[in-house]
Amino acid sequence: MGRVTLKNLFSKKFRLVLTSLAVVLGVAFMSGTFVLTDTLGSVFDNLFATTTKGVDAVVRGKEPFKAQGRGADSTRPPVPDSLVAVVRRTPGVANAQGNLLRYALIEDRNGQAIQNQAPTFGVAWYPAQTAVNRSLELVPDYKGARSVQPAPTDEVALDFTTATDGGYHIGDRVHIAFATTPPRVFRLSGVFKFGGSDQGLAGATLAAFAPTTAQQVMNAPSQPGTWDQIDVRAASGLSESGVRDRLTATLGTGKFGPYEAITGTKLAQEQSNNIKNNLSFFNTFLLIFALVALFVGAFIIYNTFSITVAQRARELGLLRALGASGRQVVGSVALEAFFIGLLSSVLGLGLGILLVKPLEGLLSAFGISLPTGPIQIQARTIIVALVAGTLVTFVSAVAPARRAARIPPIAALQDQAAAPNSGRRRYAWGGAFTILGIAILAYGLYASGSNAAITVGVAAALVFIGVAMLSPLVARPVARVLTLPAERSHRITGVLAQQNAMRNPRRTASTAAALMIGLALVSLISIFGASAKASFSDAIDNQTRADFILSPKTFQPFSSATAQAVRSGFAAISRRPATVVEFRNGSAEVGGQAVSISGLSPDFQKVVAVPAEHFNQRRFAANGVLIWKSVVGQHLCGADQHTACRNGSTVVVRFPEGPPQTVPVVGVFTDRKALPSPDDYIFPLTGWEQRYPQTLDSFVVVLKPSDVSTAQAQHVVDTVASQFGGIKAQNKAQYKDSQVAQFNQILGLMYVLLAFAVFIALIGIVNTLALSIYERTREIGLLRAVGMTRVQLRRMIRGEAVIVAVFGSLLGLVIGVGFGAAIVQALQDQGIGLSIPVGQLALFVILAGLAGLLAGWLPARRAARLDVLGAINAE
Amino acid sequence: MTTASPATTQTGAAARAVDASKVYGTGEAAVRALDHISVEFAQNKFTAIMGPSGSGKSTLLHCLAGLDDVTDGQVFLGDVEISASSEKQLTLIRRDNIGFVFQSYNLIPTLNALENITLPMALAGRKPDAAWLDHVIDIVSLRDRLSHRPAQLSGGQQQRVAVARALVSKPHVIFADEPTGNLDSRAGAEILTFMRQAVDDLGQTIVMVTHDPIAAGYADRVVFLTDGHIIDEMLDPTADSVLDRMKRIGD
Repeated sequence: MGRVTLKNLFSKKFRLVLTSLAVVLGVAFMSGTFVLTDTLGSVFDNLFATTTKGVDAVVRGKEPFKAQGRGADSTRPPVPDSLVAVVRRTPGVANAQGNLLRYALIEDRNGQAIQNQAPTFGVAWYPAQTAVNRSLELVPDYKGARSVQPAPTDEVALDFTTATDGGYHIGDRVHIAFATTPPRVFRLSGVFKFGGSDQGLAGATLAAFAPTTAQQVMNAPSQPGTWDQIDVRAASGLSESGVRDRLTATLGTGKFGPYEAITGTKLAQEQSNNIKNNLSFFNTFLLIFALVALFVGAFIIYNTFSITVAQRARELGLLRALGASGRQVVGSVALEAFFIGLLSSVLGLGLGILLVKPLEGLLSAFGISLPTGPIQIQARTIIVALVAGTLVTFVSAVAPARRAARIPPIAALQDQAAAPNSGRRRYAWGGAFTILGIAILAYGLYASGSNAAITVGVAAALVFIGVAMLSPLVARPVARVLTLPAERSHRITGVLAQQNAMRNPRRTASTAAALMIGLALVSLISIFGASAKASFSDAIDNQTRADFILSPKTFQPFSSATAQAVRSGFAAISRRPATVVEFRNGSAEVGGQAVSISGLSPDFQKVVAVPAEHFNQRRFAANGVLIWKSVVGQHLCGADQHTACRNGSTVVVRFPEGPPQTVPVVGVFTDRKALPSPDDYIFPLTGWEQRYPQTLDSFVVVLKPSDVSTAQAQHVVDTVASQFGGIKAQNKAQYKDSQVAQFNQILGLMYVLLAFAVFIALIGIVNTLALSIYERTREIGLLRAVGMTRVQLRRMIRGEAVIVAVFGSLLGLVIGVGFGAAIVQALQDQGIGLSIPVGQLALFVILAGLAGLLAGWLPARRAARLDVLGAINAE
Repeated sequence: MTTASPATTQTGAAARAVDASKVYGTGEAAVRALDHISVEFAQNKFTAIMGPSGSGKSTLLHCLAGLDDVTDGQVFLGDVEISASSEKQLTLIRRDNIGFVFQSYNLIPTLNALENITLPMALAGRKPDAAWLDHVIDIVSLRDRLSHRPAQLSGGQQQRVAVARALVSKPHVIFADEPTGNLDSRAGAEILTFMRQAVDDLGQTIVMVTHDPIAAGYADRVVFLTDGHIIDEMLDPTADSVLDRMKRIGD
């Protein structure tokens, strides 16, 4: 039986290639994603292993609570200078040095910020002989000049890559901006390499200062003389954990404050994992698209096997007549599926590894540049790729294989291919799946808070399968409508194409279903994108007053000194004050829960319309919090943290700095569309420095004084923007356009990734058509004999492909619009209102039709090349 | 999309082969299906081509109908040289000037009887002559079956649809390849009667390949083929005389 299977498999090479391709592409996408993220992970592992080179243990502030929000700053309080002495005196410690790792943005010679979608850090430099941390190595000779360590107050050393990128020579003046102190100019004293290599920093830039200088420029003014951590070298003979234990013994009493000690190795792991966690969304993002591609592939496998089992009914019936059991027939088909699955998975894995570089290129074309390193192929990647590919193929072929077992021996003697059995059970199941999917969607969107994404994904998969099962019901009328123009004008090719497409509605429906999935997701994203863009534009147009908006060029928050500089800039040319509102993000523990919070200048109402009940700016500025309407009634307020929240109640808040505070609720805001981040709590910026170690702004909104001309005002903000670097100053229209453009870029990336799934679906159309044509060889011969020209024949087959494609895309459109509307509806609280881009959706259907035309091209050519006489006499 | 109707030649032949040969394969494996055949098929006549299996009778029909090309020699439909026409020209000639009736699988399963009948016209983008269409439908008595699909028709009815399809475009010649091969004797007789009628009443020209002496008995003339040669012909045959002649071929 196995031999029969394999012979059958390889005798139809065209079919084998097309069927495999559907799986190969899905598996390739998936394994490519794994390899890409593993490679990225290893880059960070290496980076942080180097960061802690020479460091046996680290002493740092205890984290009062976990930071919230993606890429949020740590909530650890800094450690004071005085603690360095305490640590030094601890037994087992050979040396201890305080260090900082803070925001420091370096400009190049032309005044442009050097920033590569990675952090820009400033650190303290210790002389090589005594340095605990040995990750930085001075390059003795840079561009022919002697490179030395930075001296206090006005010297800096840069990492090799940054110095080169900036076009600097030793002795040049380097302009650097900081988070809380004004920008300063330094003399370049030297250049160092990180871990002895000129890569390995993963795009980050590094500026090193003499320790006291580092504190001067990077400590917040409210916290002079502090460090982020103390690097510790163990006495010789003492292990990392040995010295950590002794430090823990000293610090554990809490006598010196809330401090802790961990080993250098642990720190490296922790830091790397932090970054990897931040990047994991990215892995998930790509994996979702890979899974979609595999899912689409599954439909094609199912379809191909269904068709071939039907076509081989005579042959399988003969096997039955010759004594093969039903089980053997199933086994034969299943074995075929297994071999195709395994073969395709192996090919897919190989292709996936080749795909990593193009994938990186694609991402960077869409503005996501990732650090690269040697490609990492883990056993997990290989296993998952092989298992997933083989399993998907195998499972998809199970139903057709079981159908093969039901083929009676008499089929060997019948001319007709096995007719599909009654669809009643199929439709019942399809209906059940669809209803279940919709129910799960409703539950996921309105009932359960967490894992909404997974619930929606499961719901979508169920609806896709359900609708695919139900779709033969509507295939006939839809095809009828689609070909009305052809019918009206008595175009026989159109009528024939329609008849052919409808000959086996189940086949047409499942071929179309593959495309349906792609189109559903495309239209979902399109609706979501249009809604988000429309809501954002509306918020900017109607709820924001701004002459200028300062925002970061690469998502990194920027120094609050910028806002100060804007204020003084206007003060210099006008007696009236400018309105400068800062927007910050932070983490806090509110009522015992760690949450992300927004920090706003108290007069924020002057620039953004955030309707708030009971709002009193003076009390807010003094010490208050605004709560989001849905927090009202939650039991987390009061001193016991269990009282229902409302205006006038108090809430216990813990910030990274200082003891927990009791903050009065001074208003309830009911609309946050105009706010850049949809947080539940808004705190005033007054007193921010006592609450947070860093004061970085996410946005600054400026209203110029009325007596200053727009041109003058433009000059002020442009000057500040160029002085600080890394930020852009835009007027409202520019800001809106650039944000929408960024958004479009992400949408574009998603469309490109979905194009993969759509491409696989098109392969499905090619495959089904090729098989159908094979089945109809004699009929085609007859048509040609009675005078159908090759042109007409090609037109007929391409017409069939277009009908299937448009049918699939219409189904997808209906599902996509339904899901999109539901999801947007559920997100209303996040300030998104539904907007359906009708023109764009229509364009998708037209594009799908054109893609169908393309898919029909190859089968049409093959059919037109058939030898007429041979075709008529074909069996 | 229409071609000039092949004018009738002085000889009165609707189709003819001149020293035509057809060789399949090359070298040792070469099979000579037609061996320098010259034959004419008169207009307004019903001609049967007979011969044992492998005699080349089907090949001759295919070459005459432009479905296959001759290796050597010439084939004419009226004045048009089929053997010198391009594939595209041949398609149009088949569509506009030739009617076909095959042994089986003769109809497009997705089209109903009427659509099948008018298929060649539809392919040409022409409207059928309504009166003529009516007349043809009546001749093959299919009026009450027009909206049926082939699967809903008996074998005899399907073949009647095929004959009607061949007649409706008033082709220069109808080529029939074992038209009764898959039918029982009653349905077969019916079809042959229609074909006879088409020649007598409508002035059609029909060339039919058959191995059935009874079918050949309906023809005006029988051409006998063996091993790619024409060995004999017979005018005004009867089933018995054809059977007699066939028996002697084996000798």
